[in-house]
Amino acid sequence: MTRQFFYFSEMGYNAYPLEAAEKYGYTSLMFPNSIFEPEKARDLWQMFLREHEHASAMGFDGSVCNEHHNNVLSMQESVNISAAVISQRIKGTIALIGNPLPIHDNPVRVAEEIAMLDLISGGRIISGFVRGTGVEQLSTNANPAYNRERFEEAFELIKKTWTVPGPFRWEGKHYHLRVVNPWQLPLQKPHPPIWAAGILSPETIRWAAKQRITYLVLGSALNATAACRDIYHEVARQDGWQPEARHLGYLIHTCVMDTDDEAYEMGKHHYGGASVIGRRGGAAASALTAGTGSAGVTSGGPHPEWMAPPGYMSKQAKTGDMAKERRTSEGSYEEAVRAGLIVTGSPKTVIQKFKHIIDRTDPGYLTFWAREGKKPHAATMRGIELLGREVIPALREHQSALVTGKEVTPWPQ
Amino acid sequence: MAAMSHSQIDAAGLSVELRRGGQGAPLIVIHGELGMPGWLDSFARLSEQYDVIVPSLPGYGRSTRPDWIMGVHDLAAWVTWFARDLDIRTPANVIGCSLGGWVAAELATVAPQFFNKLVLVGAMGIKPDRGEIFDYFLDSGPTGLRRAFYRPEESAEYARFWGRDWTPEEADLVEQHREMTCRIAWKPYMHSLTLRHLLAGVRTPTLLVWGREDAITPLRVGEIYAQAIPRARLATIEQCGHMPEMEKPDEFTALVRNFFGP
Repeated sequence: MTRQFFYFSEMGYNAYPLEAAEKYGYTSLMFPNSIFEPEKARDLWQMFLREHEHASAMGFDGSVCNEHHNNVLSMQESVNISAAVISQRIKGTIALIGNPLPIHDNPVRVAEEIAMLDLISGGRIISGFVRGTGVEQLSTNANPAYNRERFEEAFELIKKTWTVPGPFRWEGKHYHLRVVNPWQLPLQKPHPPIWAAGILSPETIRWAAKQRITYLVLGSALNATAACRDIYHEVARQDGWQPEARHLGYLIHTCVMDTDDEAYEMGKHHYGGASVIGRRGGAAASALTAGTGSAGVTSGGPHPEWMAPPGYMSKQAKTGDMAKERRTSEGSYEEAVRAGLIVTGSPKTVIQKFKHIIDRTDPGYLTFWAREGKKPHAATMRGIELLGREVIPALREHQSALVTGKEVTPWPQ
Repeated sequence: MAAMSHSQIDAAGLSVELRRGGQGAPLIVIHGELGMPGWLDSFARLSEQYDVIVPSLPGYGRSTRPDWIMGVHDLAAWVTWFARDLDIRTPANVIGCSLGGWVAAELATVAPQFFNKLVLVGAMGIKPDRGEIFDYFLDSGPTGLRRAFYRPEESAEYARFWGRDWTPEEADLVEQHREMTCRIAWKPYMHSLTLRHLLAGVRTPTLLVWGREDAITPLRVGEIYAQAIPRARLATIEQCGHMPEMEKPDEFTALVRNFFGP
C-alpha cells in the first residue's frame, strides 16, 4: 500500500474569552455554555470547512474528523455529521477517528450512519472507533466502569451488522436488540476499513492487534509511538502474522511555514503551554492527563478527575511503561518540539523530520494535525499549501528504514 | 473490649474480607460506597454487647469482584447468601450505612424475615425532592472522603484512616471502591425509582440515623425514609456529616444500643 497523507483539525471553538478559562480552570464538561456564541461558531465552521477543501485541492489524500462533547476542544459533537459534510467538500478519503462506541446505547444506529456515509461518499469512508475520553463518558452518562466492555461488545455488534445477513437477534451484556436488520449496508466490502484510535492505552493497542485493525496513535511523541508499534508487532508475532504499514496510523501536530523561525513561532498555537490554563509552570495537570494536553487553547484545560473517571483507565494504563512515555513527552514547548510531539519547520526541515519519523515507525497513514488553537486562517492555509505541494510529494517516495534496512534519517539539528 | 478477628474467608461464592468481634446477638453491618477502612471505634464499642459482623461487600476491600454483580439488588441478595453461609441466626439486627443502607432497605422490602431491627445511616436509595445526592464522580476520591465529614480535621477516625499521606495501596483501594460503586449505582445515580413505593410494605422497626450536616445524602432523604417506612423514626446528630458511625461514635453507639436493646 502507498502511504497516505491526511489533514486533521479538531475544529475547536477558539473564540471563548481566555479570562473565562482562567476563572474556571477548565474548558470542558462544566465550562458554562452561556459563554458559547453561535454567530462566532457559524463563522468558524465555514473557515474550518474551507481549510478542509484547501487540503484536498493541495493534494492531501483525505481528511480526518472527530467527535468530542461538552468541550471547546472540538465543535464536532457528531463525527458522522462532520464526515457527511466534509465528504461533500473534498475529493479523497474521510477517516472518522471516530465514533465513541461506549456512549451509544444502540450501536446499530452507528452502523447505519456509517453505511449511509459510505454510500453517499461512494466508498470513501474509514471507520474509526474510540472509547471516548473520560469527559465523553460523563457528558453522555455512559458508565466509565463498563467503558471497555461496551466498546468491545459494540464493535462486535457493528461488525456483525455489516457482515452477517440480517435479520438476527443480539442479546449481549450491554446491548439487547430484538431485530438487527438495517436496510442499508456499506458499499465497501466486507466493510469500510476499521481503525481504533487511542492515546497510548496498551490494552487498546493489544486489542487492535488481536483484531488485525489499524491502530491510530493520537498526537503522541515519537518514542511513545514507536513503543506502540512494538507492542502491536509483538502481539501479531505471538499470533503468527506480520503487520503491514497500513496497520499503524500516526496523527501528529504539524506546523509548516516558509521558514523554520516562522513555523516555530506559529507552532506555539499547537501547544497547551501557550494557553493560560492546563499547565502550571510547564507541568501537566496530573499524571493522568499528561500527554493528552499538547494542543493549543482549545484543549488547554482538562480537569484530571473528568479525564479519568472511576474504572475508565486500568491501573496498568495509569502506571505502566506507556504512562512513563506520556510523562516524558511533557514539558516546555521547546521540549515538545524536540521530542517530536509537535513537528515544526520549513518544508525542507519538516521533510527531514518526517523521513526520520517514517524511518522509525513506518505508518501507513500519516495525519497532519495542521490547524489548532488561534492559528490565523491565512497561516493555516499557507501551511496546508506547503504540506500539499512540497512535503507530501517528497515523502511519498520515501521508504521506511524499517523496510529497507538503511540508516535512519537523522533528526535535523 | 472484645477482640476482633480480621480474616479472609470463602463465602457466598467469593473470597470475602471479614471483620468480626464480640459476643451476643448477631449484628450485621453493611458498609457504604467508601468501603470499610478498618475496625471502627463504634464497632469496638458495640462488640461489647453484640456479635458485630462486618464483611467487605463484593468488589470492596479485599473481597473479590464478580463481574455479574451490576446492581444494588445483586448486593442485597448476596448479603442473604453470605449470612446463610456463615450460619448467622436470623432475624438479625442490621446496620446499613449510605450505599449499604440502600442495600439493606431493598432487602427489607423483599426479605422481612431477615430482620429483627434495622438501622439506616445516611442511606442512599431515594432521590430527595429538595437538594441532590452528592455526585462523587465529578470529583476526586480524597474530595469525596473529606466531604463525608462535617469536620474531618476534628474526627479521630478520619485522622486514623484517611487524614495523612496515603500509601499507593491505600490510594488504589479508594479508586477500587469508586469503580465498584460506579458498576452498581451509576444510573440512576445512587437511587431507585421504585424503592420509595415499596417501603410502605416494610414492617421492620427502623431507626434512621442522619448527620444534620450530611453533605452527601441530604437530611431530606432521611425524612422521606421516615415517612415511607411505617415503623420508622429519624434521629439526627448535630455537627455531624455523612458518616456518624465514624464522626460521632459516642452518639451513634448510644442511639444504636438504645434502639436494638440488650
